[in-house]
Amino acid sequence: MLHPAYDLTFYEFDDERDPQIYEVLLCDLVHGKPPFKPLYIGLGWYWYVYAISCTAETLHLPTTKGWDYRVRDGYPYLTAMRTSEEEAKAREPIFKEKIRPFIEDFDGVWDPLKAELMEIYTEAKESRGLKEWDDIKKLSNIELLKFFLDYALVINRKEAETHMLMLVATYYINGLFQEMWRDVFGKEAPIDPDFGKLMTGFEAQDSRVFRELWKLARKAVDMGLEGSFKSEDNEAVLKELEKTDNGKKWLAEYKKFLLEHGWRCERMHAYDNPAWVEKPSLAIGRIKMLLSQKTFVFDDEHDRNIKEREETEKKVLARLSAEQKEWFGTLMKSAQRSGYWSEDHGYFCDFYVGAMGRWIVSEFGRRFAEAGCIDDPEDIHFLHAFEIRKAAIPMGNVNLRPYVERRKAAWEKSYNLDPPPFYGDITKAQDVLRSDPTLSVSTQVPIVREELKADLYGAAAAPGMVEGVARVIMGAHQLPELKEGEILVAPGTSAAWTVAFSFIKGLITDGGGALSHPVIMAREYGIPCVAGCVEGTQKIKTGQKVKIDGDLGVVYILNS
Amino acid sequence: MSNEWILWFDELNQECNDQVGKKCANLGEMTKMGLRVPPGFALSLEAYKDFMFLTGADMEIKEYLDNVIHGFEKIQHFNAASEELRWIVESKEMPREMSAAILSHYQELCQRWDMKDMAVSTRSAGASSHPGQYETHLNVRGDQDIIEKIIKVWSSTFNPRSLSARKRVGAPLKSDPIGVAVLKMVNARSAGILFTADPNTGDTSRMIIEANWGLGESVVGGEAMPDVYILDKASLEIIDRKLGTKGRCVTFKEVGVAEQDTPTEKSCTFCLSDEEVKEVGRLGKILESHFHVPQDTEWAVDQDLGFPESVILLQTRPEVIAQRKKPVDQVVDLMLRRFIKR
Repeated sequence: MLHPAYDLTFYEFDDERDPQIYEVLLCDLVHGKPPFKPLYIGLGWYWYVYAISCTAETLHLPTTKGWDYRVRDGYPYLTAMRTSEEEAKAREPIFKEKIRPFIEDFDGVWDPLKAELMEIYTEAKESRGLKEWDDIKKLSNIELLKFFLDYALVINRKEAETHMLMLVATYYINGLFQEMWRDVFGKEAPIDPDFGKLMTGFEAQDSRVFRELWKLARKAVDMGLEGSFKSEDNEAVLKELEKTDNGKKWLAEYKKFLLEHGWRCERMHAYDNPAWVEKPSLAIGRIKMLLSQKTFVFDDEHDRNIKEREETEKKVLARLSAEQKEWFGTLMKSAQRSGYWSEDHGYFCDFYVGAMGRWIVSEFGRRFAEAGCIDDPEDIHFLHAFEIRKAAIPMGNVNLRPYVERRKAAWEKSYNLDPPPFYGDITKAQDVLRSDPTLSVSTQVPIVREELKADLYGAAAAPGMVEGVARVIMGAHQLPELKEGEILVAPGTSAAWTVAFSFIKGLITDGGGALSHPVIMAREYGIPCVAGCVEGTQKIKTGQKVKIDGDLGVVYILNS
Repeated sequence: MSNEWILWFDELNQECNDQVGKKCANLGEMTKMGLRVPPGFALSLEAYKDFMFLTGADMEIKEYLDNVIHGFEKIQHFNAASEELRWIVESKEMPREMSAAILSHYQELCQRWDMKDMAVSTRSAGASSHPGQYETHLNVRGDQDIIEKIIKVWSSTFNPRSLSARKRVGAPLKSDPIGVAVLKMVNARSAGILFTADPNTGDTSRMIIEANWGLGESVVGGEAMPDVYILDKASLEIIDRKLGTKGRCVTFKEVGVAEQDTPTEKSCTFCLSDEEVKEVGRLGKILESHFHVPQDTEWAVDQDLGFPESVILLQTRPEVIAQRKKPVDQVVDLMLRRFIKR
């Protein structure tokens, strides 16, 4: 039986044929929960899947030609498209040449690509005379459509190609480092505090952004504006600030910040969450949290992190023979840089391109609703790119409601579903995962150690032991519920959550391996963290007392 | 002519490669340095050439090779040619003048050490190093045996592996003049190899010793799992030692040698004392600093002599250190092994 996927071809799930061809398909819960909406699947996600294949071909990955995706009940299922033995043999020598530059000088590859992306984004705005969020309203329908097509076909594609190229290289390098770590030291890297220390103490772009936010908070205090931030409602805070001269002055600064760094959405993917630059009140919550901090936590931790990292480097190398030292040192360095990339790229890849997509499609949503094609601007997410193209000019000719209604109903149904973790033969999962280390971006298995008698097992993401009251937060919109000193329990955290790290005591996540965002940030901020527990948000209830052991990567629930 | 055929080790030095072959030249150099090496003499490349010429073997060899109808494409071709060519060489009687000169040197050696029919070894010495390619004969005794074994060393330049090695590099098959070292046999209790730098890693701060009971052949040939010692080069301290299984060892017979099972009580004990290990290391350091490159040295401990005179050097040559890949290429190889070739 063919299970439809919001009218998208080649995404339908054929429950007879697909498990046969692919042996096993694994649910991508890291990205796909809550379920994606149709527009994003056929646009942003479409390019990511393409770009994985593009990377496999560019780098001549010997064992995989990329990933294939199916959508079942709204959830993405992935599997690797594996090469034959002959193909693998032919690809191997070329792969050796292609991967070498990443090992030799990871930043040397990333820096120019990063600059190129920023240039593409800047050019896309400047060539159209756009600067602020609302400027897009000035474009005529045909200008907006052209922007949409440039975005859909070029900008999004370029971002995806760069993003996946770097991502694959990162996972091959860091994955190898973790494997060799286990071989040489007999310990699983994700639960070895030394491994964590090695990956810490690099300043990613995101930390720079949060330093800017902290500076704004300091400025607000210095200007005597603390009182204006009292209201629970962040929109009200903005209104309050408008009332005074100092408040206006501060808002001008804040706007400048947003125009530069506010191109980011609360949810990294999917265009269906507002960007900071679109809704300035979004980052006000963060500023509130930072008001009381006289120093920037990251800076406090930073020097200590660097020192600890350098000491760990020396300690680790000293345990090796002269012969091991050379290759291990080379691998360690590129693994560190790739680990840092993992954190750095969010700003230049996901955030920016996501916010830009949001910018264009939400403007179409507004116009379609105004022209009577759809009821609600946000219904745009249930349309497909080609439908937007067809309905854009002349505007108002097509009734898009039937498409929206049907797909919206399907999406709402899947939203309340608990998707099965796989289809097909799960015993083949290990083979599939091994054929491509990059797959661990989207799937993971916790390292269970029964002898520890813990309630949850995960990765020892950031060292330290802490006890506290749990707060389960399922989405960024719930973040304001967090109270100082609580332990945050979340499905995963995107970089947009980073501000919470300034005042939580510990962190437990369902998703994310040793390179995931929460793991890296928790280390930078010195917060004990256990990541990748898979069912943390299910087992733990808000208000429960929990104990985190960040050295071992386990969580104990103290009262139930 | 005879003085060009035969030279005592103390008449030689490392410059004499082309004249007597590397092994002889190095034995000469070590003798000159005052190191403990077995006494003996060298037959020059000239002796090989003259033997072939004076006996007419060279013409017969040329004729055979000219008439071979195949182009040495198969292993059988080499085997068949080797059998024929070695027979040509070994069936010749050594010219009287040559055998007389060799035997008079042998007699002098026996007199110097006051031994009748002293046991010697006859070892091949190519002008360039071909480890393991030619033959060596151990525990050779008496006039007839010596002459016979020298001719056998010469004829080993026609063994299949030497023929195929020459074929591979495009060298003529008909002749490959080598020197021969004739030296007093060491009555070895234990023997082995010393590397003055780690051959696998190129680490020059450590020396590696591999040792077994009996003669060094079992270690050189790589068949027995020897005892292994790792020494810090600067201090000569033993950093690490691994007891080898030493399942087999090579010992003397009346004439020649035999390989036999190592008795259990010997295979489970180390075959060198710590002071012997350090003495081997000390000698290796002298060699390395003299030749300016890491050395691959054969040594033996003579059971008839007291320490330290018992520790004797048999041969030395520049060590072949594994060509090390760049670290980045090692990482790429690891990546392939880990993620690709499972």
